[in-house]
Amino acid sequence: MFTYSLLAGLLFGLYFSLIGLGLNLVFGVMRIVNLAHGDFLMLGAFLAFWLFSLFAINPVPAVVIAFVGFAIAGVPIYYLLVPRLLRAKDPEMLSFILFFGLAQVIEAVTTIAFGTSERSIPGNQLGQAIATVESLFTGHAVEGGPVEIFGQTFPASWVASGIASGCAVLLVYVYLYQTRLGYLTRAVMDNREEAVAAGIDVHRVSAIAFGIGLGLAAVAGVFAPFMLGSITPAMGAEITITAFAVIVIGSLGNPLGTVLGGVIYGVGYMLMQSYFSSWANLLPYVLLIAILLVRPSGLLGRRVRRA
Amino acid sequence: MIRLSILAALLAATATVSAQAADAPAEIKLGTLYASSGRYASISLPVHNGLKLWIDQMNADGGAFLKAFNKKIPLKLIAYDDQSNTATAATLYNQLITQDKVDILISDCGSVLTSVAVPIARDHKMLLFDQTGTGATFFTPDNPYIALMSDPVSTIWPKPLADFLTHDGPGLGIKRVAMLYATNDFTGTQANAVRKFIKESTSGVELVFDEGVPTETSNYTVLLNNIRAANPDAVIHLGYASNDIAFLRNVQDSGIKFKFLFAIYPGLETELLEKNVGDKGLSYVFTYVPSSAISYETNFGMSLKDYSTAWHNKYADSKIEFGFNSVAGYTTGLVLEKTLATAESLDQLELRKAVFALSGNLKTLDGTFELDPNGAQIGEITPLGQFLPGDDDHQKLVTVWPHELANGKPVYPRP
Repeated sequence: MFTYSLLAGLLFGLYFSLIGLGLNLVFGVMRIVNLAHGDFLMLGAFLAFWLFSLFAINPVPAVVIAFVGFAIAGVPIYYLLVPRLLRAKDPEMLSFILFFGLAQVIEAVTTIAFGTSERSIPGNQLGQAIATVESLFTGHAVEGGPVEIFGQTFPASWVASGIASGCAVLLVYVYLYQTRLGYLTRAVMDNREEAVAAGIDVHRVSAIAFGIGLGLAAVAGVFAPFMLGSITPAMGAEITITAFAVIVIGSLGNPLGTVLGGVIYGVGYMLMQSYFSSWANLLPYVLLIAILLVRPSGLLGRRVRRA
Repeated sequence: MIRLSILAALLAATATVSAQAADAPAEIKLGTLYASSGRYASISLPVHNGLKLWIDQMNADGGAFLKAFNKKIPLKLIAYDDQSNTATAATLYNQLITQDKVDILISDCGSVLTSVAVPIARDHKMLLFDQTGTGATFFTPDNPYIALMSDPVSTIWPKPLADFLTHDGPGLGIKRVAMLYATNDFTGTQANAVRKFIKESTSGVELVFDEGVPTETSNYTVLLNNIRAANPDAVIHLGYASNDIAFLRNVQDSGIKFKFLFAIYPGLETELLEKNVGDKGLSYVFTYVPSSAISYETNFGMSLKDYSTAWHNKYADSKIEFGFNSVAGYTTGLVLEKTLATAESLDQLELRKAVFALSGNLKTLDGTFELDPNGAQIGEITPLGQFLPGDDDHQKLVTVWPHELANGKPVYPRP
């Protein structure tokens, strides 16, 4: 029971790392809290649902479509909202209000479009995708279904989501530490005013980071029907809260600290479900309070807060 | 002299009718809440739409007949959106009573959103027309201001399930039962009832896994693994629709095969569950057989077939599935219609008297309307059914318990 909970927690935690990654990137670069993050994730989930229902597109290609689509959409959204926000006296506080309003609008429009009922994509869709990849490597047909890891069986969708989350973290790392754009992004994260003084086009860098943040949220959304049971237009608020807890645990403003936060949350949640199931949903709030009391900068805060 | 007496009596009667007509309100205000978003939207909106359908029918016919005024009066629905939030719901229930001064107070669906209405209605001495809030704690001897309209009280729901397990179960090889439930009034009460029924039986059936989880739970993979470790012969899952969807999808995705699997909502909201879990996921699942799946003989209101047609005509493109909850909202309307037609006034205790007078006599598409002395619904039972593969690739819900209602035999273990 313990081993299973631990491994399940790692996979589940990786998924929550993916959920928190975009939120933390946006906060790190712009110092604004995107309270509509969960709603962008929900939009990504409905995009995947829509692509599957209407065109029978598997969630795996939907990941690419969602990322590219939302990353591109993020740029004009940035220019529409954020520069005005940053000119205000207290942009962090105002961002709460603005993005809260945006979240309400997104939820209402999605409700009109899709209704309030739960929607989902058949669970075997990701299993089939994994089986196809596996059969390419092994050379013989592989049946889609649960996947065995260290003698424990997990749904294929968990493994697919874990792989996607790992890839997303890796790509964000490469983007931040191996590209010129990432170098500029880290400069903005470190000190926005100095970056401006150094001649960096901070709005361009921030807009791209904002787009990537939304793209990551949408990718997490594609996996939501598999990891969160089903999707509804109202799911965004709860996800934003959990994502916020995850990034505070890791380190607010440090995207890669999100991985640590996600894994701690995932493992903690699964152990709680196993041993104190009635109290499991309290975990993000308990962790949030504990971290804020003991180490307000997050677990990785002191060492790498400034990327 | 006789002529004079008759004339006097006629004049008096005319004066009374005129006075009644003069006192009659221009409209009867029905106050209710619904959830257009949030966790309970998918069960609240069908209930609300069912109630609205009844109101529209009444108003198209000139309104509801009120015995108190001896005439038909149009119905005005005042409905607010609580967004599935109990704090918002509490504020809005108060607003309906104190600001809108509604004549009739109707709760939102489900036990969670009804729980806050119960003390508010009681404090304001308003009879709460409780649509589907079935938590047993709502109904107490010291509270005359509540009556459950459409669902049986939660302690009644699992009786056929528990009876099946303790009577037929041992013969089939069911000895070890696992129960996982969401910790809210609706399913928590049912879990208590199952526990009690099994404990009181001498069948040798025992609970080997008995855990509660928050209603917000959306992932059951680890819990399923823990249940499997307990090696049960039967698994009972008690949760709301979103819980059942996540649970049944996780069962499928995990590749775990339980010999007996029970969940509440496959029977209650079959269309919704079919869309999310798929036919394969529902195959051989045990569930309640609700009023939306049985054609009860009615003595008032539309039959199930007619109502289903009316619903689909009215809400063809509303993206809200027809099911048990849509029947519940309409049933509330039918009880209200009868109540208003027989109550001597709109006084809340007079309304209560009229509602209780219907007990045992009113038969709607939801079954027999019958209340216990505390206002809990005990007439509309929930037989145990099982989804079996039908001829047309779709699952067919077959009633397996009680024997007198059964139209098929249970398949155990699940293939």
